[in-house]
Amino acid sequence: MKWPLFLACLLAIGFSAEAEAQEADSTILEKGRYLAAASDCAACHSIHRKPEYSGGVSFSLPMGKIYSNNITPDPEHGIGRYTEVQFGRALREGIRRDGSTLYPAMPFPSYARLTDRDIHALFVYFREGVKAVPVSPPRNEVTWPLSIRWPLIFWRWAFAPTPQKAIANTAGEFTDPQLARGAYLIEGPAHCGACHSPRAITMQEKALTARDGSLYLAGGSAVDGWTPPSLRQEDRTGLGRWSEEDIISFLKTGRSNTGSAFGSMTSAVLHGTQKLTDDDLRAMAHYLKSLQPADRTQTPWVYDPTITDQLHKGDLSSQGARVYVDRCAACHRTDGKGYPTVFPPLAGNPVIMQKDPVSIVHIVQKGASLPAMTAAPSSITMPAFSPKLTDQQIADVVTFIRHAWGNNASPVTAEDVKQLSKSMPPPDMADDALSLN
Amino acid sequence: MEPTLNRPLRRNFMKGLLGSTSFWLASGNAHWAEALAAEAAAHPYQPVFFNGPEYQFLEAACERLFPGDHNGPGAKALGVAEFIDRQMQTPYAHGENWYMSGPFQQGPANLGYQLPFVPRDLYRKGITGVEHYARQQYGKDFAALSALHQDELLTALEGGSVQLGEIPGRVFFEQLRTNTLEGAFADPLYGGNRGLGGWLMLGFPGARADFMDWVNQEGASYPIGPVSISGETA
Amino acid sequence: MAKTHVDAIIVGAGWAGSIMAKELTEAGLSVVMLERGSERTTPVEGAYPESIDELRGAVRKRLFQNLSQSTVTIRNTMDQTALPYRQLAAFLPGEGVGGAGLHWSGVHFRVAPEDLRLRSSVIERYGEKFIPEGMNLQDYGVTYEELEPFFDKAEKVFGTSGEAYRVQGKIVGNGNVFSPDRSDNFPLPAMTDTFSASIFREAAKNAGYHPYALPAANASRPYTNTYGCQMGPCNFCGYCSGYDCYLYSKASPNVNILPVLRQDPRFSLIPNAHVLRVDLDSTKTKATGVTYIDTKTRKEISLSAELVILGAFQFNNVHLMLMSGIGKPYDPVSNTGTIGRNFVYQTITSSRVWLPSSTYTNQFVGAGGAGVAIDDFNSMNFDHGPLGFVGGSPIWVNQAGMKPIAAATGAGGGGTPRWGSAYKDALINTYKHSLGIDAHGSNMAYRDVYLDLDPTWKDVYGQPLLRMTFTWKDNDIRMNQYVVSKIEPIARAMGATKMNLVHLNAEQPFDTRNYQTTHLGGGAIMGDHPQTSALNRYLQSWDVSNVFVIGSNAFPQGMGYNPTGMVAALAYWAAHHIRTIYLKSPGPLVKI
Repeated sequence: MKWPLFLACLLAIGFSAEAEAQEADSTILEKGRYLAAASDCAACHSIHRKPEYSGGVSFSLPMGKIYSNNITPDPEHGIGRYTEVQFGRALREGIRRDGSTLYPAMPFPSYARLTDRDIHALFVYFREGVKAVPVSPPRNEVTWPLSIRWPLIFWRWAFAPTPQKAIANTAGEFTDPQLARGAYLIEGPAHCGACHSPRAITMQEKALTARDGSLYLAGGSAVDGWTPPSLRQEDRTGLGRWSEEDIISFLKTGRSNTGSAFGSMTSAVLHGTQKLTDDDLRAMAHYLKSLQPADRTQTPWVYDPTITDQLHKGDLSSQGARVYVDRCAACHRTDGKGYPTVFPPLAGNPVIMQKDPVSIVHIVQKGASLPAMTAAPSSITMPAFSPKLTDQQIADVVTFIRHAWGNNASPVTAEDVKQLSKSMPPPDMADDALSLN
Repeated sequence: MEPTLNRPLRRNFMKGLLGSTSFWLASGNAHWAEALAAEAAAHPYQPVFFNGPEYQFLEAACERLFPGDHNGPGAKALGVAEFIDRQMQTPYAHGENWYMSGPFQQGPANLGYQLPFVPRDLYRKGITGVEHYARQQYGKDFAALSALHQDELLTALEGGSVQLGEIPGRVFFEQLRTNTLEGAFADPLYGGNRGLGGWLMLGFPGARADFMDWVNQEGASYPIGPVSISGETA
Repeated sequence: MAKTHVDAIIVGAGWAGSIMAKELTEAGLSVVMLERGSERTTPVEGAYPESIDELRGAVRKRLFQNLSQSTVTIRNTMDQTALPYRQLAAFLPGEGVGGAGLHWSGVHFRVAPEDLRLRSSVIERYGEKFIPEGMNLQDYGVTYEELEPFFDKAEKVFGTSGEAYRVQGKIVGNGNVFSPDRSDNFPLPAMTDTFSASIFREAAKNAGYHPYALPAANASRPYTNTYGCQMGPCNFCGYCSGYDCYLYSKASPNVNILPVLRQDPRFSLIPNAHVLRVDLDSTKTKATGVTYIDTKTRKEISLSAELVILGAFQFNNVHLMLMSGIGKPYDPVSNTGTIGRNFVYQTITSSRVWLPSSTYTNQFVGAGGAGVAIDDFNSMNFDHGPLGFVGGSPIWVNQAGMKPIAAATGAGGGGTPRWGSAYKDALINTYKHSLGIDAHGSNMAYRDVYLDLDPTWKDVYGQPLLRMTFTWKDNDIRMNQYVVSKIEPIARAMGATKMNLVHLNAEQPFDTRNYQTTHLGGGAIMGDHPQTSALNRYLQSWDVSNVFVIGSNAFPQGMGYNPTGMVAALAYWAAHHIRTIYLKSPGPLVKI
């Protein structure tokens, strides 16, 4: 290293240390609040119309039902007795104050990347900025022997990175500070991979960062009845045709010209990403756009007007076309282009072209709602069609939209639809769990 | 309470046989009447508000007001009497959205309805009055009269020359006419417009509610059959 | 939890109230909005396809005022006994959050500038003697130039679709040649002409008239308004008037303003709150708050405030002023007093035109605000001299989506059968092959047409009902007949095979049984002088200066245009002066 640069670094370090010392408590607290939003803590630890962060959100997992903890500073029911070191270990390593291991529903393999400064800010926020609530969540309903927590230690040893390694890995290779910031947010606090990366049979994410290979954010398996799509650059099933502006708009408002949030993502936007600064959202979008496609075989999607022309003439001979015209076209239009950003397009929408049709079938069955966001105060609802459409009709119409306008995903059968109605997602905004204006 | 939207569909037969616009439009397909009647006979509706003779009157009178003919089904085939009986169990029939405070003072017709009766009263008293009038004039119940005499009687009511006890014949007639037409053309959710037969006659597309492609097709006829709120199509 | 004191209380959650609430919270005030009806939100009860239900909607009147709680009495002349308006028919006030702004059609006009100074304009052109005896013809006290920025602001909130004619002095498009200069274009391009509107446009143009696309608060494109609220574009489903728009295309307080207001901690909305009166101090010149009744618990609750805004429906504003003792009730005998004075309506007649049976008008296709109009016989756009009447009327084809029950119950009559097989023949033919042409005209104010309290009938809360004394007068009947006569040649040029021209008649008084329009106006009008108006030019009560009354109650005459655009502009105009002048120095904004 040349002397002037070394001196500059020293000066910079000195300056930042001083700045930190001067950082008022309130600033740290606000930073913690911001990081709690970026980390989407509320999505799992808060229930609408109940005190913030008091836990009790249920997770139906193969091994049973577990409930999120109260993370308010209440000493009995919450985390009031955690020291900052214990708090950091829980977040980054999944180790509770009593030494036992958290279920990996808590994304500590991602939070492992959180810097000490960010852990400090979060600790201050959860200590000073959150109201203590003396309630405990219901007991977990995990049957023996899976209810024994000690084997989780081995899971943790095997699959969760140490904070040192994780931080080094994510901070590692970027020369572009915007990319570095995007990587930190997405791989760390925002823990996008927890849903959007595939998991192995032993439940660990197959890749935790972009450096771990192209499986990172390549699309996850169904969570709560929704299949998280790839966030990489696949043309048809990923974000290949989404601009940075589309991604920013999506994360800020839950809606973009290319698609709208649904399922668990709605809550991630509501509690999390909408609260991030435009600079951070741009960094995240910039980073996502840098992820090469995992599936390099996809031919570029091109709009095909054949079906549009047929429907315009009243030709409903294609299977599923009549159902589409009767129930869907009102909002999504006969040209499949929808009315972005109000009613999302179906033509070219990666969610429609996922290999696994579970999300799209479930949306048709139970509907979806977008609640008001700060930057997009309008609530938008799609009604549920499962009582109105038979399994066969849903299969026909989903097959139709997976084939129309240049889309090219596989057909769906009535039997598929019937099976999927068993994995119906839990209640969300459409069921008044969130208020709609 | 609004009527529930979860009424189970029980018209698979209808949907199968009568499930296309072309069926209705094709000449020579006169069996729709039998088909609808068979459907009704297989699942006879049990009136809740009207008693047997009242319901017979209702079925007969509605059919004269809105008869089955070359245009398509009439009130009976469309389930209009069932519709009216079901409406009698809604707030509307209890006059819950009408101003029903006294005093009740009559005035010029153009100042509107001034009777102390809600729709349930109008039907109960009106039907009693019509049957009394029918027996007086023709010696029979309304339902037993020839179509000619039924029309004659209804014309007299419409013309305002008949008083049905406390109810002017004209008021009863207008109530019956309005509810009959509602039953012919409301969403089948409410018991009428069976098989979407009312909408098919008019060419009304129902609850699709999307005509983006049809804002201006230069006077061409809209080609797609109707769909109901619950998803019944024709 | 009810607050006991706030900066401002707003009565009514319709357009007027919602605009005022937005403006006042922006100014930093805490605002409580009281709505006597229930909560209503588009994604819940407006959702597709359940809202596409004519019986539950327009027929059983889901979104309209529940008359069992409160209504009006009506008579034609002062020597009659007014009788209660027991069933909704002639006009349909809204109830619930959004008010009539939720169930309106969406025709969104500005104003014909000369309508704002109609008295001055008539006198300038035809002399004072031209004004008929007994007509209380008045100016608004505000000019189009003053209101223009507020029309512009409202259009950008409503997402109005239209085609401008002149913007900042330059002719920019094929809009209404009679319309005044605009500071900016419409935020969205005009709605597409329906087939029926397109042939009307052609025929009217060939006849030498000046057709233009109706300005519509139905979005022709997706739109995000000045507040960040979103609209989806209209797909001509036809469920506008009488419905909440499931597509978020028709502007409403619920779609365009309330989503953002509901996020503001300074704002709270209390539904099921029926305001009984504005409370005044002992001098009767200052309001201290309001008293309302919780319609669920039937408890009376009083709130205090520095400022009270009445933003209820036109006649409810007048009723509240009379119940509260704000201003002097109007006396038609001496033509003095102001509360109840200049009660006006509109002259609306719909004629029907049949086209050949090979031509389908597909009348179910439509949008409440879309259509093509001519203004050649509106306002002061033609020579009234030889005609001898004041006022005018646009003529238009506004295919708003004809639904089957409305078509069926309205069919027949005028010598044709109303039931039976022949009726069915005619109904089907009419539904498939006809179209409507409306004369949508002005209604002048008269000395013996007014509002006061009924001596006999009471509402469910024990307050006397408002009494309307109203009928059609010779000036307006002749105006309507003249304008309707202009429809005939246009209809012939459109290829009419048959037509039924409908106009007012001298021997037919106002009939409460048939729907005409919900565009009621006046009764608490704005103007230059406290002797002839209830409100000053800023819609501030002359008598109680911390009460502003926003709505079509302020119109001295019923104009040819639909009133909502004017109401919205007046609301922004009043709010601007409250924000920039009144709040700094509360008191009368106009001193006489």
